[in-house]
Amino acid sequence: MKAPWLRSFTLLYLVFLYSPIILLPIFAFNDSKVVAFPLTGFTLGWFREMFSDVNLRIAAKNSLIIALSVATLSTILGIFAARASVRYRFPGKAAIMGLIMLPLVLPEMIVAMALLVVLLSMGVPLSLFTVIIGQVLICTPFAVAILTSAFQSLDRSLEEAAMDLGETQWSTFRLIVLPLVMPGILSSFLICFTIAFDEFIVANFLGSGQPILSVYIFGQFRFPAKVPSMLALGTVLVCMSIILLGFAEYMRRRGIAKAGGKDTGGFL
Amino acid sequence: MAATPSSEARAGLKLISPTAIYVILLLAVPLATVLVYSVMTGGRGIVSLPLTIDNYAQLWSKSVYGYIMFKSLMVALTVTFITVILAYPVAYFVSFHVKPDRKSLWLFLITIPFWTSYIIRVSLWFVILGYDGVLDKTLMGLGIMNTQLNFSSYGIPAIIFVLAHAYAPFAVLPIFVSLEKVDRSLLEAGQDLGESRWITFLRVTLPLSMPGVIAAALIVFIPTVGDYVTPKLVGDGKEPMIANFIETQLLKLQNFPQGSAFAVASMLMVGIVSVAFVLLNRRFIGGQK
Amino acid sequence: MTFSDDRPTMIEFKDVHKYYGDYHALRGINGTIKAGEFFSLLGPSGCGKTTLLRTIAGFEDISSGVIMIDGKDMAGVAANVRPTNMVFQSYAIFPHMSVAENVGFGLRKDPRSKEEKARAVAEALEMVGLKGYGNRAAHALSGGQRQRVALARALILKPKVLLLDEPLSALDKKMREHMQVELIKLQRQVGITFILVTHDQEEALVMSDRIAVMFEGEIAQLADPETLYRRPATKKVADFIGTMNFVPAEILSETGNAVEVDAKGLGRVMLDIAQAPAKAGESPVVGLRPETLTLLYDDQKPSERETDGVIDEVIYFGDMTYYDVYLGGTDVEVRLSMRNVPGRPVLDVGEKVRVAWSPSALVLFR
Repeated sequence: MKAPWLRSFTLLYLVFLYSPIILLPIFAFNDSKVVAFPLTGFTLGWFREMFSDVNLRIAAKNSLIIALSVATLSTILGIFAARASVRYRFPGKAAIMGLIMLPLVLPEMIVAMALLVVLLSMGVPLSLFTVIIGQVLICTPFAVAILTSAFQSLDRSLEEAAMDLGETQWSTFRLIVLPLVMPGILSSFLICFTIAFDEFIVANFLGSGQPILSVYIFGQFRFPAKVPSMLALGTVLVCMSIILLGFAEYMRRRGIAKAGGKDTGGFL
Repeated sequence: MAATPSSEARAGLKLISPTAIYVILLLAVPLATVLVYSVMTGGRGIVSLPLTIDNYAQLWSKSVYGYIMFKSLMVALTVTFITVILAYPVAYFVSFHVKPDRKSLWLFLITIPFWTSYIIRVSLWFVILGYDGVLDKTLMGLGIMNTQLNFSSYGIPAIIFVLAHAYAPFAVLPIFVSLEKVDRSLLEAGQDLGESRWITFLRVTLPLSMPGVIAAALIVFIPTVGDYVTPKLVGDGKEPMIANFIETQLLKLQNFPQGSAFAVASMLMVGIVSVAFVLLNRRFIGGQK
Repeated sequence: MTFSDDRPTMIEFKDVHKYYGDYHALRGINGTIKAGEFFSLLGPSGCGKTTLLRTIAGFEDISSGVIMIDGKDMAGVAANVRPTNMVFQSYAIFPHMSVAENVGFGLRKDPRSKEEKARAVAEALEMVGLKGYGNRAAHALSGGQRQRVALARALILKPKVLLLDEPLSALDKKMREHMQVELIKLQRQVGITFILVTHDQEEALVMSDRIAVMFEGEIAQLADPETLYRRPATKKVADFIGTMNFVPAEILSETGNAVEVDAKGLGRVMLDIAQAPAKAGESPVVGLRPETLTLLYDDQKPSERETDGVIDEVIYFGDMTYYDVYLGGTDVEVRLSMRNVPGRPVLDVGEKVRVAWSPSALVLFR
């Protein structure tokens, strides 16, 4: 079956999706303060400017700290929740899992504001730490979703076989479960890292003006003179995202192959 | 082994307790606080007793609240409609016309933009469409136009355009998944029974993929209705939506009770629309049997 | 069958019950399994056979009753310390390990030296016909090979009891028949008690010393294969194992060691009390296996009894022909099977025939 119309439509759709992103590298290397066609020449100047920006470096460092902490915490919390929900039946399971997954269906602003109101009324000073707390709420549902499918593709009788062959519950988890879901854990970590690194609302409202990359970018785009170096930064970030996600997808597929399953789709 | 119900329940609860405690303390308690605040008396930076429903009465009587909610709802529904309509043929193409071993690659290509910084994508539109943006300068530089088009200042249409672009990839995946589940022999049966390809699509494929369409609509609707960045950047910030208004109420005016009431009402609205989507979905699943 | 009754008891069930919430999965299981026996749990899906196997392994607690293995009560004994090992239906081969790592998995805490363990693994692999496969990746194995790995992995620990949960159901027919013979040989070689769960009556008959037929959480009959086939205890057992014709009958009289019945289309018959198991609750019928009925050709004389019939249906199988025959001018239809030997024509629908049968082949269900 050939479908030339559908094919052209899909290609157009991809062009539409990618069109703003394609501009990133084009203007990041364009030797002009004015972001417009026609291009004027090649330069690495915007990258140099970007790397010499001290505030940017602080923001990047803060974002890295936040994203690493959030990815670690969310994945650990996700392992507990996913394992419990796949493996056990217990009272209140639907309610607890519903609450954990709730941020997926709540506007992020409301999650952030609710947390902010409580933190303010308790007199907790806003800091990178409060940003981490809030972003963990946002990222944990993603971790749970990824890890649930990882735990589900694990044949229950593998654990029983290990117990049958003399292992305890804990050594079974260490020798059988953990190695087999490790790709899922890595993929959860990478995706949480990416989400947290890009996240804006919690970073903006629970960060009390600390320099954080997404907030910094949001501010800088308002100044036309800063735009070209922001485009250079964008280019770097997009490349990083693609590499991380490619790696996450690779790990996810390897995990499915390892557990002897069949590939059924992409992210989410 | 955890086999009797009680010991299994205990093991499960123990295992989930760290995550459960975290979300109860940092999500359930804050949401409950907002709920309580919304029925308290307050002014600038003050929250006090007695309990009152004045805040909700205000939402009802002052037209600005209703206007913001209605506008957000309309923007989100329009964006949802556009993204789903655009995504369906793409999902259909990947599911039905791409070789199985190439499907992952196509999906990967479609999802990459979603995973690249949202702030950068929206800001880029600001750079492209805004005053003195790429579009205007290029058009003027080439002599096609001699005035600033400044599409970004077109307010709501510009917001819809940028949101539709930002959330487009969200819609493809659920539709794709539901199309993948459609038993191909059903389509052959449809054509075998004398239906044309187009009628077969309308009578078999489309109804069977409706759950995916509804899921896609939900996935797009929820984040767009609560979007903060796009209304702030595009449309010159003159068309605030729910999230921007909550910020104004809670942080700028420091009116916690009124802001909370607005947040609760917004959640309610999102909830009602979501439930409506889900019920629609039920109807389709039920009708299928 | 050469199994002798005087062997020591390996497993004993005493009134074992298992509930899942309101669902009564095991309803008072009693019985013993002897040391060195090849024992099968046979029944349709959902009859509780797998649950019973898993209670032996220790994967399921029992709600009440006692399970003894080798004279020890297993209450509170976890799966990892029971003297049983299991071959799982899915084989449960650890996909991230090599064949040798899988087989040697249970030896992790074994005090023997590395070399000795490696030798034990090699021996186990050789025993199941996988010599030299140790370094292969587990996920690259075929179904039959996986099963052999699962067997080697369980047997290397020299358990007192080997539990097999539908081990052949994932294999194709040829492979299954081949593995049946191999499993029997292996069991004789190692002398361990094998307990096999299966829903395939033929498999159970071929492989087992004794079989427990289970329905709805109860053991309906526990016997050796021949008794099970020739003297099923209930109509349900008779129907589940092989094909059996049921003919309505009336009980005329009963003495201590004989029962006289009038079977529709067959006439009056005197049955030994052994042919009439004492089970109440069914309207009386007599059962006959198709191969115990014979068509008489031309002037052949019956060895015992003879009844007239009309052929209603002919089903040709190559080596055999099945005939559905109305007996003695009644609406009672029985199926009988005839071997197609040279000089014996296949008959047509509607032909009148004479059917020979033997009273000793009948079973009465009442």
